[in-house]
Parts: sequence; C-alpha cells; structure tokens
Amino acid sequence: MKKSLKPVAQKRAPADRVRLLLFITSLSVIFITLGIIQTLLFEAITFFREIAGVRGWFSFEFDPKGVMSQTGLGAFLFMLALMMEWISEHRRHYLAIIPEQILFPPSWALRSIYALLIIAVVVVNSMLLWASTVALVAVWRRVAKKHMLRGTGNIDQTDRSVTIALGCCLFFSLFIATTEHYGGAFGEFFFQNQWTPTGACADRRSLCENMNFGVNSLLLTTLQVAFGALFIAVPLGVGCAIYLSEYASPRLVSVVKPTLELLAGIPSVVYGFFAFIYIGPLVVELGEVAYTNGWIDQPPNILNPINGAIVVGVMILPLVASMSEDALRAVPNELREGSLALGATRIETTLRVMLQAALSGILASIILALSRAVGETMAVTLAVGTVAVYTSNMFLPAQTMTAYIAQRVGGDLPFGEIGYLTIFAVGLYLFIITLSLNLLGNKVLSAYREAY
Amino acid sequence: MKKDIDTLKKRSRRRRDVVEQAGSASLALSGLVGMFFLVVLVWQIAIPTFIDGENGEISAASEFIPISDYVLEWDHPNVNEQGDLNTEPIVLTITWEGRTGAQKHDLEIVVTANRGEKEDVQISEEGLSTTSIEVGKKTKFYLKSVLDVPVSVEQRSGPVPAADASGNPHVSSFVVSGDVAVLISNGSAVFEPLEMAGWTSLLVLTFIVSRPTERRLAPLVRCYGRERQIRGIILLLAIFTIVIGQTTLSAFLGGLCWLLFGVALLRTIEGMERLQNQGRSLTEVKRLKHSISDREGLLLWSRMLLVSACFFIPLDIDIPFLTERYQDIFQPYASGIRSAFFGTVWVMSIAMLVSMPISIGAAIYLEEYAAPTRTTKLIQALVTNLAGVPSIVFGMFGLAIFVKQGGIGLGLGPSILAAGLTMGVMAMPIIVLASQEALRSVPRSLRESAYGVGCTQWQVVKDHVLPSAMPGIMTGSILAMSRIMGEAAPLVVVGAAALVLFDPEPLAALTGGNLNFTVIPIQIYFWTSEPEHAWHSMAAAASIALILLLIAMNSIAIVLRQHFRKRLNS
Repeated sequence: MKKSLKPVAQKRAPADRVRLLLFITSLSVIFITLGIIQTLLFEAITFFREIAGVRGWFSFEFDPKGVMSQTGLGAFLFMLALMMEWISEHRRHYLAIIPEQILFPPSWALRSIYALLIIAVVVVNSMLLWASTVALVAVWRRVAKKHMLRGTGNIDQTDRSVTIALGCCLFFSLFIATTEHYGGAFGEFFFQNQWTPTGACADRRSLCENMNFGVNSLLLTTLQVAFGALFIAVPLGVGCAIYLSEYASPRLVSVVKPTLELLAGIPSVVYGFFAFIYIGPLVVELGEVAYTNGWIDQPPNILNPINGAIVVGVMILPLVASMSEDALRAVPNELREGSLALGATRIETTLRVMLQAALSGILASIILALSRAVGETMAVTLAVGTVAVYTSNMFLPAQTMTAYIAQRVGGDLPFGEIGYLTIFAVGLYLFIITLSLNLLGNKVLSAYREAY
Repeated sequence: MKKDIDTLKKRSRRRRDVVEQAGSASLALSGLVGMFFLVVLVWQIAIPTFIDGENGEISAASEFIPISDYVLEWDHPNVNEQGDLNTEPIVLTITWEGRTGAQKHDLEIVVTANRGEKEDVQISEEGLSTTSIEVGKKTKFYLKSVLDVPVSVEQRSGPVPAADASGNPHVSSFVVSGDVAVLISNGSAVFEPLEMAGWTSLLVLTFIVSRPTERRLAPLVRCYGRERQIRGIILLLAIFTIVIGQTTLSAFLGGLCWLLFGVALLRTIEGMERLQNQGRSLTEVKRLKHSISDREGLLLWSRMLLVSACFFIPLDIDIPFLTERYQDIFQPYASGIRSAFFGTVWVMSIAMLVSMPISIGAAIYLEEYAAPTRTTKLIQALVTNLAGVPSIVFGMFGLAIFVKQGGIGLGLGPSILAAGLTMGVMAMPIIVLASQEALRSVPRSLRESAYGVGCTQWQVVKDHVLPSAMPGIMTGSILAMSRIMGEAAPLVVVGAAALVLFDPEPLAALTGGNLNFTVIPIQIYFWTSEPEHAWHSMAAAASIALILLLIAMNSIAIVLRQHFRKRLNS
C-alpha cells in the first residue's frame, strides 16, 4: 500500500511547492501587519515606561462635585439611554405604558430634533454631552421601532452590543465626570490637554519636568479637521451620487466619473499647496470679520483647522461620491420600479426609497472617508500649522496627530530619544482610531453587500 | 378635482426640480472646485514660464528678451556629475581702435552659484570699467560701448557659447559696433522638428487606420510597389533624427517613433494590397486592423507611444526643469527637479519590483488555492484593513524596520532602498485587492473546461486564469503605483532630504555611497514651506510635472485595459 502511494506523492510535489510558495507570499500580509503593530507597540510601550519611570503609571483624584458638570449631565443621559435599552430588551411589557405620542411624535418634531442635533455640534462645548444626547435620541428611535414591530415576529434576537457600548460610554463619562488631576503616563497622555514634548533640558535624552504629553490637544484638532471635512464632503458627495445614479445621462456619467477619479488622483501634497497659498488667505478674511465682530478673541492666522477641513473635504469628496453612487446603483431596480408603480413621484422614490435602501452603503462610505480624513498627512501639515494648542477657536494654528509625526521626524531625530518615542505613541493612537473606523466601515459595507 | 391634481403635479414637479438642481449643482460645484485647482496651478506655472524674475521680484518676460545688436549666450551647466559647480571662467578679449592707438583688454566672467553682480561692463576710452565680473547662472548683462568704433570680441577660454545672434553655434570671435548682450543660461527650450514630424506621422497613420475612408486611404494606395523606397526614406529619417537629436531622450524617442511608423506603414500597405487582391472593402476597420497585425500588438505599442508622446512633447519645451536642472538655493526660477525626478523613478522601480510579485502571488493564493479557513479569512480581513491604514503609519513602519539600525531594523539608513521597500509595502494591499478583483472576474467556465481536459491546478492558473486576468492585474498595479507616487508622508518619515544636488544612487545603502535622495512630492512639500513666493511658483511647476506624470501613468493603464479587453472579446 505504501509503495503504491509513493509515486503519486512524488508527482504531486511540484504543484504543492507552488501552493506553498503562494501561501508564503500571502503570509507576508500577516508579517506586515504584525510588523506595524509590533513596531508601534514596542516603541509606544518604551515611551510609556520612560514616563512612568518618572511620574508613575496612572493617578487621579476623586471629585464627586463633577457630577453636576456638563460631563455629569452627559453621563446621566447615557444612563437614561442604557435604562431604556435594557427595559426594551428585557422588560418589553413595560413599553406598553409609554404613550404612543412620545414614541411616535409628528414628523416635523422629529425632523426639528435631528436638525437641532446637527446644529448643536457647533454650539455645545462638551462633545461628551453631545454624544450622549445623540445616543439618547438613537435609543429612543430604536425603542420606537421595536415597539412598532412587536407581535410581528420581526424583532431581532436580543442584541447585546448596543447595551455593552452604552455601558462603556456610561462608565467612561462617569469616570471623566468624577475625577480630576490626572497624572502618570496614561493619565497624562489620554486625559491632559497640553502637548509640549520639547523642552529646554540639560540632557536631550532625559525627560524634563516641563514636558507635557497630553495628546488631546492633537486629537481635538484632528477631529475638528476630519468632521469639518465631512461637513463639506458629505452633502456634496451624496448630492453628486444621487444625481449621477438617478438623473444623469450615461454619457454625462462617462465624462464625470473619470473626472472624479482624476480629482481623487491628485496627490495630497498638491492639495496642501493649494490650502497654503489660496484657501488660507480666504479663511483669514472670514476670520477678520469674526474678529472685528468679537466672535473670536484672537486675530485669525493663515494656518488654521478650517483651512485644513476645506482641503481635506475636497480630497475625500470623490471617495464619498463614488462609493455612495455604487451603493445607490446596487439597490435592485425592482424597488425603484415598485415605488414608481405605486404612484410615487421621482423625488419621493429617490428620497424615500432609494436613499433609505442605500443608507448603509452611504454610511460606510462616510465612515471610510472619515478614516481617510483622520489619516491624511501632507495637506494637513501644510494647511493647519505646527503649533499644538488645545483650543476650540478654529481660526488659530493648531496641529493634528499626523502633522505632529511629519513635523517631528522632519528634523534630525536620534533613535531612542523621547521625541522619537512620542511619534510612535501618537502613531499607535492614530492607528487604533483608523483601524477601528475601517473595521466598522468594512463591516457596514459587507452588511449592505449581503442585503442585495 | 382637476385643479387639485394640477397643483399637486406642479408642486411635485417643483420639488423634483429642486432635487435635480441640487444634485447637479453639487456636481457642478465639485467639478468647479477641481477646475479651480487646475486653473490656479496653470496660473502659477505661468509665472515661472512666461514671466521671468530675478532677485525675487517678478517682471514681464519681455524685459529679459535682449534688445541689442549682438547676443552671446552660454549654455552653462549648473553642476557637473559629481555635484560640484562648474566654475571655469569665460575669458573674452575685447579689442578696438582707440584715439590713442589699439586697445586690448581681457574680461573674465566667473559663473558662480551665488547671484553675483549684474552691472553692465562699460567700454570707454579709458578701457573696461572692470576686468573681472562675477555672475550667477541665468543672468544677463551688457557690454555697453560708448565709442562709435567697431569693437571686436574674441573668446579665449571657457566653455563654448551655445549660440550667437544668427544662431550659428561655436562662433567665438566677432566684430560689432553696438551693445553686446551676454546671456549665461542653463538650458533652453528644445525643439526637435524631426521628432515632432515623426510623432505627427504616427498620429496621422493611427487616425487613418482607426477611421478609414476611401479619401483618407488614397495616399496609401498610391504607395503600392514603392515599399523599398519608403523603407529607405524612413530609415534615413530615423538615423537623421538620432544623429541631430539635441538630447539623448528625444533622439531615442524620435528614432523609435520613425522606426515604428515605418513598420506600421509598410504593414498597412501590405495588408491593404492583400485585402484588395481578395476583393474586399478597405474601409472596414476591423479587417484593416487585422491585416496590419494579428494581435494588434503593433497598434498597441504605437498607441502607448502616442499617449506618452502627448506628455513628452510639452515636456520637451521645458524639459530642463524636469531632467536637467538641480535645485538652486539662490535662484528659485533657475531651479529644477532633476534629482527629485530620478529619485521618484528609482523609488517607484524598487517599490514595483518588491511589491508586484508578492502581492500577485498572495492574490492568486487567496483566490485560487485557499480554502475558506480561519487563516484565509484573517488574511483577507488584514488586506482589506491594511489598505485603509494611513500612509504615515507605513512610513513609521519603514523607519523602524528598514531605516533604523539594531533590534529588528535592517539599518539601510534614509536611502532610496529603504524608501522603495516602504512604498512597496504600502502598495501591497492595494495591488492584492485589485488582483483579486481581476481574478474573480475570470469566468468559472474557463477554469472548469481547463480542468476538464486534465490540467493540474497550477497549469489552470498559469495558462488560463492568469492570462485572462492580466489586464485587470496590470491596470490595478499601475493605478496603485500612481497612487503611491504622489505620497510624500511615508518618505518624510523615512527621511527624504530637502536639498539634493546630485543624481541619487539607488543602491547606495548597500554600496556605501551618498544616501541622500528626494522625490517630487517631497520637493513640493519643502518648496511650499519656504517663505519666498518664488519657491511657491516652483512648487506649482513641480506639481504640474507630477500631475502630468500621474495622468500619463493612468492613461497607459487605460490603454492597456482597453487593448486586453478587446483581445479577450475577439
């Protein structure tokens, strides 16, 4: 038996070798990912260990009075949302007590609430409060949907992920609200707002007392730029997508699509050049108006986050447009025809049927665009500036996480110095943010691909 | 009732119009934004091209067109191969018949990297106002004569002048009675009439073959039986183009173009004769093309050459900027991106060599071999997510793995090799995704029929799946390359230099040469960061060059895709 098998095995050998070779090439993807994570983690851990050697790992003081602050209110709203979610999952019969008018308000009220939420992004000082309000409204609509579907048998099985996420948010906001004076390596990095990793020290390699590593200063600017970019790219991009997939003639599409691809192909450093030369002065003129009217307390600078937001918005516009268009095109034609056959006008079909059906695809495009905006480097480095300050005034120069890395390595940087280690800590944070956004976006994307 | 319906209709029409208008408005706005950017770029390049400036100020170019009786121009190279400035002085001997007898004076012109003085040299009864003058490159001054006697100028040493007023090269002695403008320039517009003629002929031939009518084919019909003469003429033209070509590139491309034109023309004539002997119509595009080349290979090559020509012909005019001039820290407008251009070429070549085999192999494994196990799913998820990792993170990966010495670092230093490897790693997930897409689009029936006749799996992949997936793979790879070509962030981290005054060495990290290198996006970044406006103009010029290179790469990808798609269909 063994003898007869041997020649067969020999014959199969070349094919197996090819297979093995190809397998090894595909393993290189794992090596690269591991390499990235290993490098970032290794240097970041060294960074935290160096700080911890001087200031300890983590320290904070309790301050129960903070419950009365905006963050405390946010925590309370999170708690409310969590309770609603829990009741709707585990004590469904209590839902019947809630009057119908609260669960299903008139559409104008609902719309005005949504509009208020969007406007509140600009007005509300504490992002946590805003996020908790959004969570509350989202859970409210979720409960209403469940209430509507009760008895039809269409309710999903208990979905724990929302409860877990809300619990995490509650814990986090409660922690923020009731503590202050964070210290130590982690406390300083994640909770403090001052970022001055360069100080006048006797010894360049040592950690001086006047160095501060509060990454929130960089994170705030990054988020300002990214969300500002979405403010520009989402309306324009989704508008383009709707027009291209629903109204435009195929001839126009064949012209416009390559143009959008061309816009996407322009290197980011060229966009940075535009921002630096042209958009900056325009934004400064706008800022002068705000300054003379007393809306902002410092004169505007030519380098500012608004400048960066505009240019990054234009950069991610083609991504949003083409991905949203793909999502709209993937919606089966029967839905459109069915809606038209029922007597809906074209506009109603577009807004109520097509847009709703393609919503998850559009959402995925927005999430992926957000990830791209967070990771954008050269344009932001040239447009936003190189001063790491924690301020909500978007007319002043600031620094994003990517810009910090680019600016810091631009100089002569000895390996192993604390400045060299900071870029890996910031890079790891950036990597985690973009990776989680990508994972989320790809999950949403595959969900809508499965749906159709 | 009818009225209600009418109002409803009107309202709905109005609302539809609103959405349609909003959609088209957002489309138009995005288009306008793009157009605005391009217009601004072109306007910015207009400053260095049409308006020349020195000392930072900008003035009309016409001021710099010398208005004098005689122009003496030296095409003075910035730097030699080693990166040193070529500062061999130009010595002019100026003689004239003065009142007190014959006067003979030497004027030494030293070309330096500095801006130098620019004041004119006076020729008067007392002699020359100065005997030695130091000038920067691309400057101009006058030998101003206040005498009314003819002055003879003779060059004793230094590089030969590029041209005199009548365009005759190598005349180093002349007699003039007015002002003499002395131009020290480095590089000027290169115009190659023969090369242009070659491109035009190829363009016309391609046009005729792709849209044949009786009238357009008439001149070709007249060529029947004169193949030998045509072959001779075109060979002569090709040789002539190569011999008189002013730069190596244009000589090579022009000669190639003529040869290609000759082969294509002869084949066309041969095919037409064959078709006519068979009694078929010449005006059927497919048949004519088929008669020229069975697999359209020739047409493909000529089309690709034409596409690249579209970008080379305008570049020919200001090619010193791209391939001749180095950066000049004192004179922005005399700067070029030679070192950055070659840096880009090398970095891209290394990236392509490293990433393409590995990523295509990975794609084949994932699509053809891998069973849907947990490992495969993990690899697939990693590929999808790696494509979205910010480019600067890849740069930090390169910094720690390729640049740094010690630990797991390879210690290549901030060199082209490290940069190419980093870029290759960055391109990998993009190429894997594109190749997978291409492999997935190969019909299942092709594989099954190949298995049906007894092929092994590797034979199926090698002989059937890969050839039909090749267009998609090639297109995806080229697009990935063009995407990473514009990336500056990882190279900033890897350590590209701001100022490189020599051609980069690709293997300097291994042979121990000079590691410094730069690429075009990095050059744009550093020039934009400069405070002087002149550098911003140069950044715009470099941007235009970069965008043109990217468009050229994309066009080649599109041509390739169309060609292979046609072949598959036929």
